[in-house]
Amino acid sequence: MDSVIINSLQQGLIFAFMALGVLLTFRLLGFPDLTVEGTFPLGAAVTARAVVEGVDPLLAVLLGALAGGAAGAATGLMHTRLKVNNILAGILTASAIYTVMLRTMGRPNTPLLAYENVYGQVLGWFGLGETHLSVIFTLLVLTLAVRVVLGWFLNTDLGLAVRATGSNERMIRALGVNTDNTKLLTLIIANFLVGLSGALACQAQGFADVGMGIGVLVAAIASAILGETIFGGNRVGRLLTGAILGSIVYRGLLALGLRLGLPAEDFKLMTALLVLLVLTLPNMEIGNRMAKGLPKKARLFCRQAIFSPGAAGKTAGARNHGREVDN
Amino acid sequence: MINLTGINKYFFVNTPNEIKALDNINLQVNPGDFITIIGSNGAGKSTLLKAVAGVIPVDSGCIEIDGQDVTNLPEHRRAGDIGRIDQDPMASTAAELTIEENLAIACLRGQRRALARAVTRPRLERFRQALRDTGLGLEDRLRVPVGTLSGGQRQALALVMATMTRPRLLLLDEHTAALDPKAASLVMDITERIVNRHQLTTLMITHNMEQALRFGNRLIMMHRGRIILDIGSDEKNRLTVAELIAKFASCSGTVFDNDRALLA
Ligand SMILES: Nc1ncnc2c1ncn2[C@@H]1O[C@H](COP(=O)(O)OP(=O)(O)OP(=O)(O)O)[C@@H](O)[C@H]1O
Ligand SMILES: [Mg+2]
Repeated sequence: MDSVIINSLQQGLIFAFMALGVLLTFRLLGFPDLTVEGTFPLGAAVTARAVVEGVDPLLAVLLGALAGGAAGAATGLMHTRLKVNNILAGILTASAIYTVMLRTMGRPNTPLLAYENVYGQVLGWFGLGETHLSVIFTLLVLTLAVRVVLGWFLNTDLGLAVRATGSNERMIRALGVNTDNTKLLTLIIANFLVGLSGALACQAQGFADVGMGIGVLVAAIASAILGETIFGGNRVGRLLTGAILGSIVYRGLLALGLRLGLPAEDFKLMTALLVLLVLTLPNMEIGNRMAKGLPKKARLFCRQAIFSPGAAGKTAGARNHGREVDN
Repeated sequence: MINLTGINKYFFVNTPNEIKALDNINLQVNPGDFITIIGSNGAGKSTLLKAVAGVIPVDSGCIEIDGQDVTNLPEHRRAGDIGRIDQDPMASTAAELTIEENLAIACLRGQRRALARAVTRPRLERFRQALRDTGLGLEDRLRVPVGTLSGGQRQALALVMATMTRPRLLLLDEHTAALDPKAASLVMDITERIVNRHQLTTLMITHNMEQALRFGNRLIMMHRGRIILDIGSDEKNRLTVAELIAKFASCSGTVFDNDRALLA
């Protein structure tokens, strides 16, 4: 199979967990959580240290994900209990994580190629060798499992309370939900997923590095937006699947760019421009014509989820404000 | 029974701009009372309902619901007893969620939420039944996002959500004020039907004097943080809007002044 496809599938699936986490906080909770820039390399650093210490790779990956969840809890507690602004709380945690990573690994970078990785371990149980395809298959199974669990969770009573917290916090509080708790819970779940993403990334690439997190947030946002724009739909299931597919498409675009000879150092700038473009297209004249093809919900997301989280619902309602009751 | 004793709520305390939003409010609400509340702008009507719901803390005084002192309970801990609807149609429903999801959230008012499936068959049956009562046909559109409904439909849904669990107290803060006249009267009809059917104890703020006289069994009038008039059912039925305004003038010493007031 073509290496562009292989690479983007593998990378896309690994980063899909992060895109799902970002979807949970940015999109569904309306909480612009900047912790994730630190959570991603933290997951990798904790996993790397654990592997070096001789911990079973699968357990090491789980530890990485749990460390991510703990980072989410830190941001959540800062925001809900200490009333720190949501963006600032994330920045503080991400900054503190840098020290934690250096302390965890004892140095900025840990090579892991000498150790068995989680893919080889899991595939070994089934007597399979570690090839590109089998790794992708393993990741695919895990992604689908997470997709199913999230889809189920978001349709439970608790999951609905989480989504309502993002949609109309005042309302859900008036219905007896302590929104501090729903926010905290969502931040923990989301950062657990981001930590998992980092852990799986370090296992795939054979090293962990404190600099791994630079730019991953904007990539995850781009993935979630791509997913919603292309695959559309306003039911949560569609959003979740969209984030996964969006992540694969995004990595595909990057790989394609490389193949076409675009210099790798330009990627972060281009990603930022891509996100900006999708965000603002609907506001511009040409954008309006081009955006006609996009699902309405995706356009709403583009304009509002990032710039003013939580506002999407208000506008959707405002359009209908004052219209007559049809009966 | 709801008992408010000596409720005070001041804003900007110890500044030249000090506002007595609630000034020694005493009110006893009997079970099944449907009280309409009127008063000029800034009289403290909304503040009163927010204090009862626990949205804002009071400075002093005591709020009791059926003998339980809830004065210091946060809003989410009182929610099981109190259904509330705001003037803003955006405020009482979640736009991004569907009708059935909004109702599923509302049917657990004040209860613990766990990992059970939210939209189940028995619940759907209950939702359809409750929506049918409004006569808007919403029971056939359960999977539509609430953000696509009209303001009147959203307020009707909010009413169903607020009353589905038969709260001990229903608080309505000008819940028809943002609607056009036709939708407003429709939502008022639905309100009356639901309140009467379940004998809900209700406090309803309105700026519509005619509405204030027509609905409910009791009327109170507020002015500068105080309750200046409390009229029972018999007298209320006899009063005309003109007489009510004259009464306001004599009790408050000023003319009735509400920018949204409908005097006719
Ligand atoms: N959060 C607040 N901070 C400062 N002052 C407030 C606050 N909320 C209300 N007030 C003041 O308290 C007074 C009572 O306000 P309230 O909203 O209860 O009036 P209202 O009777 O509902 O008036 P309206 O008919 O205009 O809705 C007003 O003078 C208002 O400016
Ligand atoms: Mg008011």
